[in-house]
Amino acid sequence: MLEIKNLKSRIGDTEILRGLSLTVNAGEVHAIMGPNGSGKSTLAQVIAGHQDYVVTGGEVTYKGSDLLELEPEERAREGIFLGFQYPVEIPGVNNAYLLKAAVNAKRKHQGLGEVDAFEFLKLAREKMSMLGMDPKFLNRGVNEGFSGGEKKRNEILQMAMLEPSLAILDETDSGLDIDALKAVAEGVNTLRDPERAIVLVTHYQRLLDYIEPDFVHVLSEGRIVRSGDKSLALELEEKGYDWVREAASA
Amino acid sequence: MKQAALSMKDLRQAVLRLPDNGLMATRQAALANIDEHGLPSVRDENFKYTDIGTAIDISNRWLIDGAKETSGGVQRDAIQAICSSIDANWLVVANGLIDLTGFDADSDIEIERFSDTAAPALVDRPLADLNAALLHDGLRVQIHGATEKPLGILVIDEANAAAGVSQANVEIEVSSGCDVEIIEYHHSFGDGDHYSNSVIGLQIDQAAHVSYVRVQDRSLAHVQTGRLSTILGKDAKLNMSCYDIGGRLIRNDVDIDLGNPGAEAEFNGLYLAGDGQHIDNHTRVDHRAGPARSTQEYRGILNGRCRCVWNGKAIVHRGADGTDANQANHNLLLSEHAEIDAKPELEIYADDVKCSHGTTVGQLDETALFYLRSRGMDKQQAIQILTHAFAADLVGRAPVTAAKARVQSLVERRLADLIQVEAP
Repeated sequence: MLEIKNLKSRIGDTEILRGLSLTVNAGEVHAIMGPNGSGKSTLAQVIAGHQDYVVTGGEVTYKGSDLLELEPEERAREGIFLGFQYPVEIPGVNNAYLLKAAVNAKRKHQGLGEVDAFEFLKLAREKMSMLGMDPKFLNRGVNEGFSGGEKKRNEILQMAMLEPSLAILDETDSGLDIDALKAVAEGVNTLRDPERAIVLVTHYQRLLDYIEPDFVHVLSEGRIVRSGDKSLALELEEKGYDWVREAASA
Repeated sequence: MKQAALSMKDLRQAVLRLPDNGLMATRQAALANIDEHGLPSVRDENFKYTDIGTAIDISNRWLIDGAKETSGGVQRDAIQAICSSIDANWLVVANGLIDLTGFDADSDIEIERFSDTAAPALVDRPLADLNAALLHDGLRVQIHGATEKPLGILVIDEANAAAGVSQANVEIEVSSGCDVEIIEYHHSFGDGDHYSNSVIGLQIDQAAHVSYVRVQDRSLAHVQTGRLSTILGKDAKLNMSCYDIGGRLIRNDVDIDLGNPGAEAEFNGLYLAGDGQHIDNHTRVDHRAGPARSTQEYRGILNGRCRCVWNGKAIVHRGADGTDANQANHNLLLSEHAEIDAKPELEIYADDVKCSHGTTVGQLDETALFYLRSRGMDKQQAIQILTHAFAADLVGRAPVTAAKARVQSLVERRLADLIQVEAP
């Protein structure tokens, strides 16, 4: 599904990714962990196509095509979803409007007609109920005045409605209390599918208690320095990131 | 550059040709004022950013051509199109002539022509003098009770091939305790050059409440200077929204006089400008007594080569303790060729006051743009969504329900046009 080879990227004059390679297949859940500044969020932003991150080397192939050629919106329509670490507040744009516009943008790309308004609303309410979201959030401005937890639930709601092929969730667990964390994890787990890949970017092991990854990668200074199964996350929790750094430089 | 001067000789002759309907003495007095003070130029602090040379030029061509009333007046169906788009009781001033054919008698509204009663008092403002000098006739409206429909004032002009100039003057008084909705709507169309100059007076008596919507939807080739002067009585309230959709050169003056305790004025404005447009909103609030409150928020969306001006003046006079005055102006500049001159002005001569002002000028939020694109919207669509969102708030605040749908469609249509111009 996604193949990253020797990816290098900088923002401004700062080089952040320094030769990152990663392969993600359909049906897999990957966790990317690492200390602050290791390049976790940069990786997520580069895959989504943020213009501030300049790719200076390497290649990214998605479903067999060159991903870096595509505009952010084309990537989204091709099934890539980025759950933002800091979801943006957009006062004046109705949450339901954005959801529907996003779903329709994808449907149009697939050659389908616009979603039926009634069916759309029904589906949105179902997903919200699963995520423990009050339906009134549909009629509020996008993330406007939402708490941290509400914003993250709203990201998962968008993901659930868009049914992406590749979901990258950037620190979706940060700032969540335990109830919100469980709700978000349940939302992600229901989307686990042999046709879908999920990449969890996280600082802490906590999220992985609720979403069990197939692979865990540790990122340090812009490279994956260690990969393993879920036991790696536990080892990391116990020994701290310094252990990985030392192991990497040794 | 030499300031274009109004041809006084031709103006005098034009005044003499107006019907002798009891307004002649006032017209002559106004002429004398113009003689003495001239018309405003960019040398005047109040017109520093707005050169009304185009208005003077159109006026001169019209005057020299014999100051003719546009033949045939305004097409009926054009008037009808607007009057039927908002469910209101309409008073129409078409090419400067009063038209009451569409007005339904309402026992709560009394209407008199200036010519049947008395000439209006002269307002000490240069363009108001021009209005008084060239005015055919004006209307005095007294509202005594809760009217069935909002009161609509339509100032509409149709410009033929020749240059046209028109004046409108309406004085409204809302009696004590009444709760009233008013719509002031400016529209123009046609191939010729046109200059409209209006003076609307609004007196809100004790404990009366007025919801007011002001729409300027003129041809992109036409010029308007429009004044709205309001005076609020004790515990009177004004809630107003203004929308500038069209026009080539637009100058609005909104004056609000809070001379009595308990008065409250909340007003806001939205101006949308594209290539070749110049839109100037000057507001002035006089706090003469306290406690009283004024709040204003103007927002602008500018794209292409255009210029807008917002000048918000609040004067807190001696003794107006307990004044609360807030003003805000926010601008979205979608082109490097767009210019905004934003100027808040506070003059405070009282002690116990609370005043604030804030002005912002900016581009669309890049993070929000990326967020929308990452959800599948293309760049153009994302720009549109964010721009609409910036305007939507003020559209939603339109205090006259009957006018809301019309305002919304005007704003949406204009924004769609504006954003067609490539934004960087």
